[in-house]
Amino acid sequence: MNRRQVVIVGAGPAGMAAAVTLCREGVLPTVIDENPQSGGQIYRQPRNASQQSGSNEVLKDTRGNQLHRQFQQCREQIEHLSDNTVWGIYSHRQVACNGPDGCQMFAADHLLLATGAYEYVCPFPGWTLPGVMTPGAAQSVVKSHGVRPGKTAIVAGTGPFLLVVALQLHNAGVKVAAIVETARRRDLWRHCPGLFWDLAMFAEGAGYMRRIRQAGIPMMWGQVVTCAEGNDAVAAAVVAPCNEEGVADPGQARTIPVDTLCVAYGFVPRFELAQLAGCEMEYREAMGGWIPKMDSHLATSIPGVWVAGDGGGVAGAIVAQLEGTLAGLAIANSLGRLDTATFQNRYRKLSRQLAKMHRFREALDRVYQVREGLTKLATENTIVCRCEELSCAEVDAGIESGGTRSRTLKVMTRLGMGPCQGRMCWPAMARRIARKTHQRVEEVGQFSFRPPTQPICLGDLLADNQTLSQLTDRPTVIEKSVKNQTL
Amino acid sequence: MIGSPDVIIVGGGVIGCGVAYELAKRSVQVALIDKTLPGRATSASAGGLWPVGESVGLGCGVIYHNTMAAQHESDKNENAVENVSGLVILPEIFRKFLQNSNRLFPELSQELFELTGVDIEYEPGAGLLYLIYQEQDFKLTDQLKQLLPNMDGLTVLSPEETWKIEPHLTRDLIGAVLLPGEYQVNPMLLAEAFKRGAIELGATCHHDVHVDGLERRGDRVTGVNIDGQQVFCGAVVNAAGCWSARLAATAELSLPVFPVRGQIVLTESLPHTLNACLSTNGCYLVQKAHGEVLIGSTTENVGFDTSVTVEAMQSLVEGSVRAVPLLKHVGIKRIWSGLRPGTPDELPVLGPVDEVSGYFNATGGFRTGIVASPLTARVVAQCVLSEETEFERTPFLAARFGNQVGSPIQPGK
Repeated sequence: MNRRQVVIVGAGPAGMAAAVTLCREGVLPTVIDENPQSGGQIYRQPRNASQQSGSNEVLKDTRGNQLHRQFQQCREQIEHLSDNTVWGIYSHRQVACNGPDGCQMFAADHLLLATGAYEYVCPFPGWTLPGVMTPGAAQSVVKSHGVRPGKTAIVAGTGPFLLVVALQLHNAGVKVAAIVETARRRDLWRHCPGLFWDLAMFAEGAGYMRRIRQAGIPMMWGQVVTCAEGNDAVAAAVVAPCNEEGVADPGQARTIPVDTLCVAYGFVPRFELAQLAGCEMEYREAMGGWIPKMDSHLATSIPGVWVAGDGGGVAGAIVAQLEGTLAGLAIANSLGRLDTATFQNRYRKLSRQLAKMHRFREALDRVYQVREGLTKLATENTIVCRCEELSCAEVDAGIESGGTRSRTLKVMTRLGMGPCQGRMCWPAMARRIARKTHQRVEEVGQFSFRPPTQPICLGDLLADNQTLSQLTDRPTVIEKSVKNQTL
Repeated sequence: MIGSPDVIIVGGGVIGCGVAYELAKRSVQVALIDKTLPGRATSASAGGLWPVGESVGLGCGVIYHNTMAAQHESDKNENAVENVSGLVILPEIFRKFLQNSNRLFPELSQELFELTGVDIEYEPGAGLLYLIYQEQDFKLTDQLKQLLPNMDGLTVLSPEETWKIEPHLTRDLIGAVLLPGEYQVNPMLLAEAFKRGAIELGATCHHDVHVDGLERRGDRVTGVNIDGQQVFCGAVVNAAGCWSARLAATAELSLPVFPVRGQIVLTESLPHTLNACLSTNGCYLVQKAHGEVLIGSTTENVGFDTSVTVEAMQSLVEGSVRAVPLLKHVGIKRIWSGLRPGTPDELPVLGPVDEVSGYFNATGGFRTGIVASPLTARVVAQCVLSEETEFERTPFLAARFGNQVGSPIQPGK
């Protein structure tokens, strides 16, 4: 068995910060990440330098650059398995992954899940047309491939991430016809005081707003994309004002021609590995849905399994990075590489910063909440489960004939039985069931994930073309003298 | 909220739902109580309807008996099974039970569809094909013919004949045994249809309710305990699958039912590829109605552990790619496991017990729970109503174990 002292899943801000922290304490971590390079979604790096879309890049990602530099400095100590997808967690913190070297299995003494979040998509008529994508997908296309997703785009949904993506598209040469934001301007004013908890962040947000204005991108508050029109691809978006619940007023709808429509309503924690690891879960609406239960040191209910970043509750890159550092320190402490007094000292500092960020975040969440009315956008014929090609009417029929819980609805309709295991459809459908059956979303239940959570082939598991048993253990600690070089 | 029904059924797997349906059909007031625990066997079943295949060990029994033989070997047991090729015959009476039950499916699927609108995906295909890779396995087919002289349609096929039925099979095989009439069904939809049918006929169904134990007064079971509350009823049916021994123990009844883990691999949906259900000495393969190929299954005595293991995945994948080479490049959709309710003699435990009245077993389905469910449901319902059973119940009574039971018995020992 390939034993590792610490395995970190994910090389976004949380995973990178944890890896850097562990290296500084003399622990050699193994980082497994699905991308070719570290950074995750938010600090994604171009595939090669020439693709840098940012010779005119206005958004200097200073936080990201700093973290990248620190991670680079530790690269000798970090076993970084890039292009590797983790597709299962088995008992005793065994991590199964698949990558260029085939399938591998690691037994980790400590397992840190820094899996991040994915975007919350709410089905609406026309959302399966080519040209409709999530803002994150558009961002990936621009950032890693240096390719424009289209000529004219609308960025829609809710949250400050829309501003970031709109500016990146604009800078890549895409005409951004509008940012369509479900939150109303008055929601922003009402919760404005809460946003003063973090003046730096507030200023950053204001800076984005200013640049959006300078770029001449119209900002449409309190509006929602109700429909994507087009035959073979999206040709126009129908935009209508909505009320506080997010219910659109079709009487005032207008049509805007676009060839790219980016829509997402915030983020959902990517919790499936924590669930597979056996962690106790809880439902926290403000955190994006189901998250693993964690103590103040980010330990889950399973000994040796830790969670940091958006995967443990959506709170953005800065919180993720702080949590990654905290988890790194806590792991180093439990390994005996960091004495408890020092740990407590640094923990107090970090938790003060985190508390401040959380208060800012709470205000932000109130502005950009996920509104119930969005579940009404889908009409009878709208496909809601793309894997199984289920229409909204078919799912509604399943709900009406007794499929009021995740499991029964799945058996009845095959909702979520496809390769995505319900990642795409379930968050929205859980809300739809809850609304239709007068239950709370948590009562509808979580979806149970099963390996493989990422695609693998039968051939990947054949004994002759894989390295499951051939790898050897790697040394787990380095001497203090080496450690100090990176500080 | 449950009230005081005539009968409480504990367990909402295929057996519990089936018994609820048959009782509701006979105008009995039924409350079905279900708590979804990880590992329920119905959700991890292939849905194979292989009455002969299973009773002569050519279905998932091949893997079972291979596992047992390997265990014996490693235990250096003197009584080690000589025949490692997998031919272990279950009593004839049980084979008849399974065959009778299997014959109920065509009509049952129609009946349930009309009542509930649920299609249980009963699919008559080419039958069950047991693939032969080595010369010595032909001995097995000779034995089989001697044992089952009246078995209609059991045919030994040449490789060419086999490929004609199943063109995607490996060129390595040297023959096959075809058991016609051995088809498949969707096990989860079967349970769902039974349950909906029962509800349609007046039963109540209570999800996510945990039964703490049985309520026993002297020589009578009078109800169940739920959250410290007693719920009274005329009779309790124990359909708690691999958990049924625990439930029985709360009324001081011993029941030798233990969990036997089975791990399975499910591929992504493929176009129609397989015409038959396939059995080999390494795995079995069934293509389901929506195109996925289900590959099963291990047989492990690991208690209530529902995790899956690399070793098992590998052995199932190797077995399936050997049989159907094109699967090598097919994606895996899910890998999971279920806990079959096993018994020492591999036969189910049905009907009343000697020690108490008001209590009935409907458990121990082991690897034949799905195919046995229609008849099991009827026989148990008839026991509950003190009617004459349409199939001899004596071989399946808990009384056959005598008093020696109590602790889980190692399968195969």
